[in-house]
Amino acid sequence: MTCDQLDELIEAITDGESPPEECEAHLASCPRCTASLALARALDRTLLAREVPAPPPGFTARVMQGVGQERWRAEQIVDAGFNIAIAFGVALIALGAVALAFSFGWLTVDRPTIEALGAAVQPWLSSLADDLRTVGLAAMLLTSALAVWWWVEGESSL
Amino acid sequence: MMLEMDSTSEHELVERCREGDEQAFRELVERYKGLVFALVARSISDPARAEDMAQEVFLRVHRGLPYFRGESRLSTWIYRVAVNLVLAQPRTVPTESLEGSGEGPPREFGTADRSFEDLALRDRMEKAIRRLPAQYRVLIHGHYMKGLQYEELAAALDLPMGTVKTHLHRAKRQLRKLLETEFR
Repeated sequence: MTCDQLDELIEAITDGESPPEECEAHLASCPRCTASLALARALDRTLLAREVPAPPPGFTARVMQGVGQERWRAEQIVDAGFNIAIAFGVALIALGAVALAFSFGWLTVDRPTIEALGAAVQPWLSSLADDLRTVGLAAMLLTSALAVWWWVEGESSL
Repeated sequence: MMLEMDSTSEHELVERCREGDEQAFRELVERYKGLVFALVARSISDPARAEDMAQEVFLRVHRGLPYFRGESRLSTWIYRVAVNLVLAQPRTVPTESLEGSGEGPPREFGTADRSFEDLALRDRMEKAIRRLPAQYRVLIHGHYMKGLQYEELAAALDLPMGTVKTHLHRAKRQLRKLLETEFR
């Protein structure tokens, strides 16, 4: 048996696996391999005897504080979404009410005002109409990307 | 360190956590903080950063509990979260790690001043461990941690039992080689 062959077996021997018979003979005549085996055993002892680091006092409380902060942030996001939805709903209702008022003739606007409003909005509307397809596609892609990111984030954070 | 839990109480604890029971999650942290902190603190030499990382492990566990399907033991899953976080850290090799290098004959063990030799070996060994690849470091830290079963280590690292054993032998061999050469 050569030194290289024995070197491959040293960790297994240290783990208590029974070595081939030639190992004993080689070790008896090779101070270098004997020293390597002694080092491997000393390493094993030292690794076993290492002090286990203990968490500092207040560790659990700090984790729970972090959990509370994360929960608060999540609630803030939900709250913000809810508020936006409410505002959007209120705006829709107001718009509907105005439209109804117009249709029943309770609300009238004189022609020059309508024309002035139309002239102001016209360029903006026409530019929006030109870009509508691009904007719609971008919004769809962004929404899909956000949905995929949200899903992947949930899985990969583990 | 880690307390054994039967599968029923483990399942109950997970369910209570999922329902938002803060006390249940506190209990979970109390049960596993020793294991998680020991692994992280052994892998990260800066104590303040180690605590931050150990806390991050539990925050990830909290976020991930809804996705925990119970296919493995809770401790294994938590350990896997910790291992993934440790492995994702950029490798830092302290500059003092080469202090032990030098010329001279290999040190002998079993001499009269054993305790001094042990202390010196521990110091060199800690420096050498930091030079190992991240996965080998995690294997050595995990294997020599009381309370962590061999099977759990294999499951946490997503490796077959036989492969874990082979990798562990390689890790220890590499560590020994470092001590025989650079950290004599």
